Amino acid sequence: MPDNHGNRKLYIELDNCIGCRACLAACTQCGGHEERNRNYVIDVNPLVDRQTMPIMCLHCVNPPCARSCPVQAIQIHETGAVLSAMVEKCLGCQNCTIACPYGIPKFDVEQSLMYKCDLCIDRTKVNIPPMCASVCPSNTLQWLTEEEIDRKMERHTLDNGTWVSSNPDPYLENETNVKISLPGILQNKIKLY
Amino acid sequence: MQEDKVKDKFYRDIANLTHPNEKLIKTHCSYCGMQCGMNLRVDTNKNKIIGVEPRYDWPVTLGKMCPKGVTAYQQTNHDDRIQFPLIRDDASRKGTKEGFREASWEEAYDLVVRKFKQIQGDYGKDAMSVFSGVSMTNEKCYLTGKFARVALQTRYIDYNGRYCMSSAAGGFNRSFGVDRGSTFPWTDLHQTDCLFLAGSNTAECHPTSLFRIWEVQERGGYIIVVDPRETPTARRADVHLDLRPGTDLALANCMVNLLIENGYVDEAFIQDHTNGFEETKQLVKQFTPAYTSAITGVDPEKLIRAAEIYGEAPNAIVAFARGIEQQIKGVDNVSGYVNMALVTGKIGRPKSGVATFTGQGNGQGGREHGQKSDNLPGYRKITNPEHVAEVCQVWGIKPEEMPKAGVSAHEMFGLMNEKTIRGLYLLCSNPAVSAPNSNYVRAALKNLDFMVCADFYLSESAEYADVVLPSVTWSEDEGTVTNLEGRVIKINKAQEPVGESKPDWLIQVELAERMGRGEYFRHLTSARLISDEFRLATKGGLADYYGATWEKIDQQDGVFWPCPDDEHKGTPHMFLDKKFNHPDGRAKICALPYRPPAEEPCNEYPLRLTTGRVVYHYLSGNQTRRIPFLNDMCPEPFVEVHPLTAKQYDISHDEKVRLYTRRGTAIYKVKVTEAIREDTVFVPYHFGHEQSINLLTIDALDPISRMPEFKACAAQIEKWEVSHNA
Repeated sequence: MPDNHGNRKLYIELDNCIGCRACLAACTQCGGHEERNRNYVIDVNPLVDRQTMPIMCLHCVNPPCARSCPVQAIQIHETGAVLSAMVEKCLGCQNCTIACPYGIPKFDVEQSLMYKCDLCIDRTKVNIPPMCASVCPSNTLQWLTEEEIDRKMERHTLDNGTWVSSNPDPYLENETNVKISLPGILQNKIKLY
Repeated sequence: MQEDKVKDKFYRDIANLTHPNEKLIKTHCSYCGMQCGMNLRVDTNKNKIIGVEPRYDWPVTLGKMCPKGVTAYQQTNHDDRIQFPLIRDDASRKGTKEGFREASWEEAYDLVVRKFKQIQGDYGKDAMSVFSGVSMTNEKCYLTGKFARVALQTRYIDYNGRYCMSSAAGGFNRSFGVDRGSTFPWTDLHQTDCLFLAGSNTAECHPTSLFRIWEVQERGGYIIVVDPRETPTARRADVHLDLRPGTDLALANCMVNLLIENGYVDEAFIQDHTNGFEETKQLVKQFTPAYTSAITGVDPEKLIRAAEIYGEAPNAIVAFARGIEQQIKGVDNVSGYVNMALVTGKIGRPKSGVATFTGQGNGQGGREHGQKSDNLPGYRKITNPEHVAEVCQVWGIKPEEMPKAGVSAHEMFGLMNEKTIRGLYLLCSNPAVSAPNSNYVRAALKNLDFMVCADFYLSESAEYADVVLPSVTWSEDEGTVTNLEGRVIKINKAQEPVGESKPDWLIQVELAERMGRGEYFRHLTSARLISDEFRLATKGGLADYYGATWEKIDQQDGVFWPCPDDEHKGTPHMFLDKKFNHPDGRAKICALPYRPPAEEPCNEYPLRLTTGRVVYHYLSGNQTRRIPFLNDMCPEPFVEVHPLTAKQYDISHDEKVRLYTRRGTAIYKVKVTEAIREDTVFVPYHFGHEQSINLLTIDALDPISRMPEFKACAAQIEKWEVSHNA
């Protein structure tokens, strides 16, 4: 039976990223994204090494983009996904692009409309993974159950002062639905031999 | 296979999202040897491919795709598709895109056949040649070999695997007596304890292996990467052996020496299942860490640590790719690294073994069934009278009618330059970009009396053709492909051919009819019927596909060759019985003296030039450069230079430089990065015309595989004048 039930969430393991940008290519392919990609992958320090990282919408529990919207164009889906601005409401004021602590909302100058990641809501509302996490070849983007995320969090919230995963503060601005582990997952890894 | 699905820790049963008025056609990617599973979304009103949906239940890749795979579907209905045959009447315009006119198939066929017959009438059958490729199905690869030998009756057929997999094939054949690119299924990869990767920029060239590779470390295992560059894979390696390009054999010999010295050998395995150990032991003694460090430039401590990690590993996999294979000693490098598995006995059991990352989609199957100058279906040899007799029986020709062995791909260009070869039928390849020493190759193409190119886009090589025949993309035909595991899989048709384009097999059947050889081809009216003849032609060969029927492929999620009969389920793991394919059943541990690259740096050309891929492009870029997303991500080539080297030449990031070798010159933007050796520069090879790095590369060939040394030559950089930089 297809495993399209249970409440899964996006989890990001930054150290796995290989910079292939399949997530961005896939973002254009979900069928509801007007073939525009809505996230970012950046070269962390391109003159030095090949480290890259995705910058995805973290779908804040109390999203500054939605709070800053003067016309409530940015709706929050019951799954927690923070949706793209409703075209009929969006004023193009760009408050959201300024309010977002991660710089996620993009702005279409021609149409004067904001657009952002909606976590492939057509897919995720029926628990099909979003396109980015579906294709991610390095398992940087994973679509996990809450129990799986808890296990990741346990492992990753080591108090060694050098690395942590998202939550609790102060590492991220606020509580997010998407969970994220900062680089360093292999530190303290006990080797097989 | 069903079993894999249950066992594989990454597998999840996920339903696909479907949209109204759409159907999903399950298939695989058109590009590399990973052959990632995908579903093509087809609009059922227009009967056109409109998108892609992950194939979560494909056991190897589980829905994962790289950016090339995600956008692969955009090739099919692309504006650049050649829709009708093209004829160029004015031969003086060869080497340009100019002068082509649309023609009917009848007119094109008439001209092609008239010219083929004229050339062969005037200069003999061997004046015609076929240059093919392995980014197409087994059925097409098989038929192309038959077409050359039976329809054109020429000895001169070879293929672009000489630029891709031929060294791996040569090395495996020598070490094991058989050439199956991986001795284990890919679902073993993440379960090993040590992954030793040599000359493979896996993260960019085979990205969908990465979730398994990272899992090795997640489990507490080790990754060792041998590469002159700190690739995205090397960045996370436990040990990165950052060697000078072209020095792999010294490093491999050092590993074997240290494994022997430090007691990691499996004496019982060596005794019972191998030859050549003593001789090899003597030879590698010289390769101490200090001696090897002097050749390779790798810190001796890292060499010692790498050998220790591999030696201690309960299970270990050695995998390699073009980095070690595209050298004049590529075959030796392969056997050299295979030696690591043979002296330690880490082969012939699950989670251990050796593999090569196959570059082209059907790089494995395409090299087994008769496109190579000396090779016939089922990995038979054209030089072996028994093999010839077996194939002749299937083809219905007399053994004396079978042409002799020809020459390798690159040597064919030599014969074109000296007018031994006067006509060319080129398909599924773009040697004007992908062959080394492009000036020589382009001159050879221009020197032909007549050239036909079958392609779905007007490639840089098609610019040299007199006639261009529109072929179809992978999505408009069906057939089998053998992926990098040796798993035979099925490509399915998702829409009808665009315009008047035709599958290559149909073009060959129709040409054969007009060449007066129709009796051997006219029964082949579908890919399915070719498949049946092809399987029969492989029966009893080393690469036996007889039992790999399309039904079995569908039921089992692929069939690993050898699969000799209907009951056989295929062979996911090779050598489980420790029996190798040499006549005495033993593997060969090879004693391989080190030799440097054909061209070493000197005062005039002090830098080492190496080439490779970026994640956004495939091979010559004829396909991927036309895909908007991929082209946006990497629109032009660049030269990677270490900051200290950049400083020495007074050049800076994004500035243009002239890069040159004894063979050619090109202008590139500089990409300054610490992720490369100071003595080495790197340029990706996906670009054509004056941007092609193969204008600079050397065409020195491996004596066994005839693989050119793309990966190492001597080069120099010059600051491009400020006026040019404006």
